Amino acid sequence: MAAPTEPQELVTVIIDGKEHKVPKGTNLLEVCRSVGSDVPYFCYHKGLSSPAVCRQCLVDVKGAPKPVPSCYTAVADKMEVTTNSPKILDIRRQMLEFTLLNHPIDCPICDKAGECSLQKHYFDWDGKLARNEGIKVRKAKVVDLGKHIVLDQERCILCTRCIRVCDEVAKQSELTMAYRGSHEVLTTAPGHRLDNPYSLNTVDVCPVGALTSKDFRFARRAWELSSVPSVCPGCATGCNIEIHATRGKIHRLVPRENLAVNKFWMCDEGRFEYKAVHENRLLLATMGGKRAGLDVAVAESARLLREAVAKDPGKVGVVFSAMATNEDTHALVRLALDGLKIGRAYLGGKPSGWSDKILVSSDKNPNTVGVERIVPPPLRPLKELASDVASGAVTALLVLGNETLTLDKSKLSALVVLSSHQGLLVEAAHVALPIATWAESHGSFTNRDGRVQQIHAAFPPRGEGMPAWRAAALLGSKLSVDLAYASAAEVFADASARYPFLKELAWATPSKPVQLRFGDSRG
Amino acid sequence: MASEARSDLAPRRRIVFGEADVSDFDETNDLPVESMPLRMGPSHPAMHGTIRIELEVEGEKIKTSDIQIGYLHRCFEKECESATWTQVFPYTDRLNYVSPMLNNVGYALAVEKLLDIDKKIPERAQYIRVIVGEVSRVADHLTCLGASAMELGAFTVFFYLIKAREWLWELLEEISGARLTHSYVRIGGVVADMPDGWASRLLDVLGKARTALGDADKLLTNNKIFRDRMDGVGIIAKEDAAGWGLTGPVARSTGLAYDVRKDHPYLVYDRFDFDVPVGTTGDNFDRYAVRMEEIFQSMRILEQALDKIPAGPILIDDVRVALPAKRETYNTIEAMIAHFKLIMDGIHVPPGEVYSFTEGGNGELGFYLVSDGTGRPWKCRVRPPCFANLAILDKVLPGLFIADVVPTFGMINMIGGECDR
Repeated sequence: MAAPTEPQELVTVIIDGKEHKVPKGTNLLEVCRSVGSDVPYFCYHKGLSSPAVCRQCLVDVKGAPKPVPSCYTAVADKMEVTTNSPKILDIRRQMLEFTLLNHPIDCPICDKAGECSLQKHYFDWDGKLARNEGIKVRKAKVVDLGKHIVLDQERCILCTRCIRVCDEVAKQSELTMAYRGSHEVLTTAPGHRLDNPYSLNTVDVCPVGALTSKDFRFARRAWELSSVPSVCPGCATGCNIEIHATRGKIHRLVPRENLAVNKFWMCDEGRFEYKAVHENRLLLATMGGKRAGLDVAVAESARLLREAVAKDPGKVGVVFSAMATNEDTHALVRLALDGLKIGRAYLGGKPSGWSDKILVSSDKNPNTVGVERIVPPPLRPLKELASDVASGAVTALLVLGNETLTLDKSKLSALVVLSSHQGLLVEAAHVALPIATWAESHGSFTNRDGRVQQIHAAFPPRGEGMPAWRAAALLGSKLSVDLAYASAAEVFADASARYPFLKELAWATPSKPVQLRFGDSRG
Repeated sequence: MASEARSDLAPRRRIVFGEADVSDFDETNDLPVESMPLRMGPSHPAMHGTIRIELEVEGEKIKTSDIQIGYLHRCFEKECESATWTQVFPYTDRLNYVSPMLNNVGYALAVEKLLDIDKKIPERAQYIRVIVGEVSRVADHLTCLGASAMELGAFTVFFYLIKAREWLWELLEEISGARLTHSYVRIGGVVADMPDGWASRLLDVLGKARTALGDADKLLTNNKIFRDRMDGVGIIAKEDAAGWGLTGPVARSTGLAYDVRKDHPYLVYDRFDFDVPVGTTGDNFDRYAVRMEEIFQSMRILEQALDKIPAGPILIDDVRVALPAKRETYNTIEAMIAHFKLIMDGIHVPPGEVYSFTEGGNGELGFYLVSDGTGRPWKCRVRPPCFANLAILDKVLPGLFIADVVPTFGMINMIGGECDR
């Protein structure tokens, strides 16, 4: 990555006749775009180094003998830049003509169509019909490049962004260019594959449809998808993502720029977090493993809990989940600890896994920090629960989350589970209530650095599912615990008045899904 | 029975409505003159157009009237915001559905002005737009005259004129593929050239239409029944016409010689020799006469246009506006991308706003468009001529007889699709 220049003194540059004051050494391309002089590019990427190979961003600098690539030029004092002279526009058009010379006529079957930089730049800057009648150079069409990636060498415009992603982000140099001229192709070393934990970022940075994700290939046309900003639930890093979904089904997760967290990237593992949203879901309330009406199930859970608490609240346990949002956790604290005075709190969640120094955390839960800050100690580890049940220290349980636990049910007078998914615990439960997943709820996660980040629902919960805070409020209404929340925003407002780490944080209006066809090109 | 015999009968019962004052009764006619509500429409056999007129009548006389529109509201303007600029054309067909070509042309001109390509439209396309537009205007007036005559009992005239309209619509079907909902005009030109022999067929049809109009003229213009119901009925003053924003034949019947084609020439109208007929009294008959004459003036324009039309392209040569030829699209990546972007994203119209107006069948048809730089209109507002024209009916109707509503409304020529949008 280009060494970030410390903003020092301001210099004066003249761009298309207008004076601007910018920090010395800023990238000229960024300056031009920030002041409204649109300069197109293929090879440049904010998070990567600039090789200046695509020649799309050429601009005229007064005094320079020939046009300079703005992505490779730092601003200097008194620089006079022209981005839209007839000569520059002509160069831009001619470079596009070269780029299109051997490009296959693939738009109707190309995954990138609709969010393709080449389409966008041709339409914005070229708009001339083909002049050559020659036969295009043929290259390999379906190259199995790696575990997740398929390469179409004909579509590749040789910008080398993907090579730099591997070199600079994943720190594993796996891709390279081979051959020369119109026969130049992107490839791996013979016998090697593109196989690093960040390989799918190459698909995101690819300005055309050369690199496609096997998972998303031919799944949906890009413009049919609607985008919602969210946060990856895959680990404690909390990479900012966009959920791309249509008609209640997620088709892909892509990283969203956040320089403080994930910059422009996310790991491959995180991208497949969406699959669980659609698999093995608990959609309807059950009692003893059988379908029950939601009202009946809520009333029964309330009765079981009331009786258990009446007997001895110290022997009732509540399991929190490091997968749940701050809002869900707070509502459960209000219900179980404040309201019912339940004595024992446990923390569940996914087990730890691998990590690296780039993005991946070993804690595979998105909100461990948040739950630990919200739930008053002692918060016992989940592994103590089975023995506590066996020993009779816990005789009734309220569980949030889809825990894989085997409990001695004969020792439990009540097992009420709030879960988004089917599982052993749901089957064993006296009552199980369906809960919304992260993709269906508004809320916030606190990542490993204590950064609170908001997530947004991509679509309403399926079936009878509801956010856990609403389930807590429903139970509260039957158990004379006043939790009259109408929205996640209200839970957040209540929580932020109580916990220092949520103080002075603003709750943004929930984002509505935006159809990608109305957005700009993501290329 | 002799009248003497009746005097033997018991005094006739006086019918009292509600709490009417006895002094309200006109003793001479012995008719109750207390006002009575009368609702015409929204479905009325003698009114073409879905509209409700709430009348307050005293006997046969109209005391007040309340025009209630909106029965054909289809969210046209809102719908446009989710369509690409090109996808709006089928919606405009359904504004004034008697002359869709004129709406197509009016909308295309507005977008072209916003795109700043209005001076670059190929000349042949401009001539074709004038031709199909004037054919539509003739069809529009034929419909108005024919239907109004029918509503006054002249059924034969209706057949003569509608037959002539059908000949014209067959020609429009031939050129566009659809009899009524043409969607023929495109931003940057028109979608197809005139078929072989179309021009001579049009001239033939104009000749036949002249004959039909001559017959109608003989049947109507000096017909005592027709004149009695038209002359001096529904008079609109010239000042009112200007003040109420009336345009088109309704305004011209009052003597207000405003015609967009003459006053603000667009396309190639400044190259043709034609007159703008005006009335003198602003009554129904003047509106009939103005429309009759306008048909002949349109025919004059058509003959000149067919004579002068140059050869050349019919669509602008710019792949960012007009779809490239299919041969290019299927065989080159450049045209493929252009096609893809135009269909999926729409034409990129630079941010800005425009009000563009043309002479529609009923008067000034205006399009106010706002673009935010995307492929869809941010706002599309229509100034429908018959909306303003209809508004004055509230002022005109009081004082007339109930039977006058039919010819007066007919001569305003309200078109639901356009008025209600």
